[in-house]
Formats: sequence, C-alpha cells, structure tokens
Amino acid sequence: MVPPSAPISSTDAAKTVIGVADMAISSDPNATLITYALGSCIGVTVYDPQVHVGGMLHFMLPSAKLSQEKAENNPAMFGDTGIPLLFKKCYELGAQKERMIVCAAGGAEVMSDNGQFKIGSRNRTLIRKIFWKNNILISADDTGSTISRTMALSMADGSVTIRNKATERMIWPL
Amino acid sequence: MATLNNILSQCESLPVLPSTVARLTSMLNREDVEVSEIHEIVRTDDALSMTIMRYANSAQYGARNRVFNLQESLARLGRRHLMQIVLQQQVADLFLDAGEAYGMHRGALWRSAQGGALAAECIARDHGFEDPDLAFVCGLLRDVGKLVLDKHYGSEYMTLVSKHLNTQTSFIEAERAALGFDHAELGAELAVRWGLPVRIVAAIRFHHAPPPPDSDDDDLFSIVHAADMICLWAGLGLGHDGLQYRLADHVRLKLNLSRDVVEGFIAQTVAATKASEELVQGKQNEEKLA
Repeated sequence: MVPPSAPISSTDAAKTVIGVADMAISSDPNATLITYALGSCIGVTVYDPQVHVGGMLHFMLPSAKLSQEKAENNPAMFGDTGIPLLFKKCYELGAQKERMIVCAAGGAEVMSDNGQFKIGSRNRTLIRKIFWKNNILISADDTGSTISRTMALSMADGSVTIRNKATERMIWPL
Repeated sequence: MATLNNILSQCESLPVLPSTVARLTSMLNREDVEVSEIHEIVRTDDALSMTIMRYANSAQYGARNRVFNLQESLARLGRRHLMQIVLQQQVADLFLDAGEAYGMHRGALWRSAQGGALAAECIARDHGFEDPDLAFVCGLLRDVGKLVLDKHYGSEYMTLVSKHLNTQTSFIEAERAALGFDHAELGAELAVRWGLPVRIVAAIRFHHAPPPPDSDDDDLFSIVHAADMICLWAGLGLGHDGLQYRLADHVRLKLNLSRDVVEGFIAQTVAATKASEELVQGKQNEEKLA
C-alpha cells in the first residue's frame, strides 16, 4: 500500500506535512512535522525544548537573488529568506536562539553533475554560512549523496528522524 | 526475465487512458481547433465543467466580481489553457494513487506529472519550440510506464532493481539490468497501445535517454528530458530512486542550461505546480461558485 499521507502541505490531528518550498511552526506537543522527498532541497528543523516551540522549512534553492518577486511571494522557496523567517516565527512563539536545536537533511545531487549546477551542495554551503554568521551550531545533519530523504520532527521532545527507503534513524538526540 | 510485451499482456488491468485525452491529443497538431469542439468534449462531465469554471473564475485569470458560467468560462480560458486543464484533470485519476513501485507517497507521481508538464511547456517557450502544448502533454504523460510497474510488481519493484544499483549506476541502467528494459520504454509501449501519436510515444521513450545530437533529433525529446530533470531538482515526485539520474550533456548544451537558467525553471515549475494544484483541487473560489 502507498502510505496514505497527503503530499501537499496539510494537517491532520497529529501530523503536519510540509511541502516543497514551504514551512510550518508549532507549539503543539502532540504534533509531528514531516516533509517527504528531500532531494537537492534541504529540510531545516528548529526546536526550543524549554517552551516546546519548533518548526520545519523545506527550501529548494540557496539564494533569493534569483527572483525577488518569487522570494516575496514565497520566502520558503529560498534558504537565505526561509531560514531567517523560520527563526523569526519561532521567536514570536517564545523560542530563544541560544536554546534552539537545529538539524538539517537533504542537499543531494543528481548524477554526473560535473560542477555545472551543484544545487544540493550549494544549498549545503548556504546553511553552513548562515548558521556560522549567526553563531548557531547545527546539532545534527544528514546531507549529500543522491538519495531521497523523509525528515520528521516530533514536537513532544524535539527528536528528528530521517527515513531513506526502509531505513529510519534518529539523528537527534543521538 | 519477463519481457516488456509479457508484462503488458500479463497485467490484469492495464491503465486506461480516458477517451477524452485521446480525442484532445489528436487535436494538438490542428491549428483550427475551435473552443466549441472542446465544449462538446467537456459538457457532459460535471467534475470537469466545475474545474473549468473554477479556473475561469480564479484571480489567476483576472476574475473579480462576476461569475462566469461554463460557456463563458470556455471562451475566457481559450484553446491553449482549456486543453491543458482538461488533460490534467483527465489523467489525474491515473496518477493520484500510483507510485507504489517507486516508494512514492500518495500524490507524488501526480505532482511529478504536473510538474513535468509545466516545466516542459516553460522550457519549450523559452527555447522557441514550435509547439509548447505538445511539450506539455509529453511532460504530463512521460512516466506512464510507472503505472504498469505498479500493477505488475507493486512494492517488490524496488527490491528487484536495487540489486543492480551502485553509486556509478543510474536508476535507468539498473532497471535495464533487472528487467531488460526501463520504465520509459515500457511507457512508450503502453502509449502505442493507447493509440497516442508517434511523436508523443517517442518523447515518452526517450525522456531519460534522448538520442544523440547527430541522429534524427527532435527538440521535443531534449525538452521533455530536461523537464524530467527539473522535476527531480525541484523535489517533485521523488521516490526511492532518489536523484540517481543523469542529465544528458548534449541536452544541456543544446538548451543552454546554465545554473541560473535551471534554477529559474525550477522556481517557475514549483510556483506553477502549486498554483495548478490549488485550482484543480478547488481550494480557491469555492464560495464564489457555490
């Protein structure tokens, strides 16, 4: 059976599905934020364990310089507009930067990309640059290769799991 | 090893192409298609009529205060948009619940079909290709072979192909090693059985392996191949096969696919796919039409 999960951003009682170029914030301890099919896109999760506020972003491309218009319509499309917005929305619900646990997944490449595009690796570089500039440490990540990943954040405890094919593993806490 | 024709003959219920799609694709190469001919096809289908009115009454098409009926909606959308809307709506049922063989979640193959259609049209227009509508249809139908693999192998398919995968092998090469053919060739054979025009059949066949530039080349094949790669980069319809595919170098050169150009196509494709999904699913203007 195909898992009966809606692929578009949608919410049921416990699970919020984040689509491509989308984000969601939550303070509901019963919720799980999940995103499917991270390829060269990157999923970023943030979680403040003290106030149980967290969020997930699924961005596609590194820089909004490509199209200011598209970035204004949908900041979650780009890493350099989506990541600041993800943090800002969590701050509005009481989260604090110094308590945030940050995880990332995705950033894979297609085969035989001999440096012409490198969308996955440029997405990976972007997140490292943004977090380094803002004194934020990435607690755990699972990036690169040519695989597709599903990423889930449990709002009960901030745990982050990554699934590829039949293999699921927790990347935070270790 | 099962042959391609064996699989098609053994398949208990081959996916059926709605007759509407066959009628519309046969109109594609005609310049003189009248909106009234499309009206004839859609007027008996309530769901399709509702979708058309939803589009015509959406902000995307500049609707403000008044509500347009079916007849007015058809005229308002025009031949090109109508053709696309009807085709998408008609093949949605084929794709929505499919993708099990590739480990996709529900709806992912449909999203990939829509994304491929929109990306192909976008690349075709950018490249000055003579028939963007044809590119749209080929992008939409390029993965019909996956529907047959779903029915024949179901969730066992990945196990079968994965045995032939390694870091140097593309998923297409692994499919050929496991089956003797790949999903593109299987899709093309299905398209032959559906009676689709030969150019659409060939675009489906070549969407992962466009013929080399010195052969009998058709820009359509390059466009549909590039559209497929755009969908992969955009994360539309990724399954357990991941990004284990190659962009043909001659297609990159022919279509002038620089980094900025590719990123532009990715952004446009995702924005257009989201807009299209919202309209098809009736998330907008429901109150207006009620």
